[in-house]
Amino acid sequence: MKVEHLKPFVESVIETFGSMLDCPVKNGKPFVSKDDDQSNDIIGVIGLTGTAQGTVALKFPVKTALTVVGRMVGTEFKEVDTSIADGVGELVNIIAGNAKVKFKGHKISISLPTVVRGGVYKLNFPAAVRMTVPFTGGLGDFEILVSFKPVAVEEKEAVHAGVNCG
Amino acid sequence: MQVLIVDDSQIMRKIITGVLKKLKVENIIEAVNGKEAVDAISENNDIGLVLMDWNMPTMTGIEAVKKIRTSGSKVPIVMCTTEAEKEKVLEAIKSGANDYLIKPFNPKDIQSKLGKFLAACTK
Repeated sequence: MKVEHLKPFVESVIETFGSMLDCPVKNGKPFVSKDDDQSNDIIGVIGLTGTAQGTVALKFPVKTALTVVGRMVGTEFKEVDTSIADGVGELVNIIAGNAKVKFKGHKISISLPTVVRGGVYKLNFPAAVRMTVPFTGGLGDFEILVSFKPVAVEEKEAVHAGVNCG
Repeated sequence: MQVLIVDDSQIMRKIITGVLKKLKVENIIEAVNGKEAVDAISENNDIGLVLMDWNMPTMTGIEAVKKIRTSGSKVPIVMCTTEAEKEKVLEAIKSGANDYLIKPFNPKDIQSKLGKFLAACTK
């Protein structure tokens, strides 16, 4: 996995939060993810298949998840319920779907999203390295975790041709 | 006339419902997958517009579009999906979808894309 593989996902997060939630977000510096933590976060996970294999996980602290999904539907949520899981799943679906189009030379399909709440969990990532990009914004901090492994095209043909993502 | 929202995400159905209500569309029904949509259209002649997600369990949106057109229904169908590749758009149009709305969208996108279809559903 290369750092440039993150760009489509970073751009997609920024576009989705700006367009759907009217909430500008800013990405921080990417870092190589450590082992799964024991946090209580809400995590939306989606798989990538096709000319690249991968996993994308959108990881919200509970408070951020409540605020973000509340903004999506114009409702105030006070506790995690099926609506929160559904909203986080839809967000990771939109972000991954929007990002996959940005990979030139690839044909990528996305799975249906799954949402887990932290505690004890283990996410499987196909690439040896997975990277985390932190985001800050008016609705709270969150992260996106990406594992991306091209399998059927030359990597030099498959890198993203987009502009800077900050 | 009714608007049928087909999406496995309850949150997305709520979002679209909220926008439609702002556009004075009150008669809204929902389906959670393509099969439910096909069944609803075969049983209900009052549906005047279908907003169809693509990726859903049980039956995908594109499978549902094909079945709806095979059944002879001419109800307008607008795909509302993250599937933004040109070939996907073409596949949907070729299969019988009337228009295409790519997620993420905001209320203005929905209004501008659906305006021509909604006139019959706001009467």
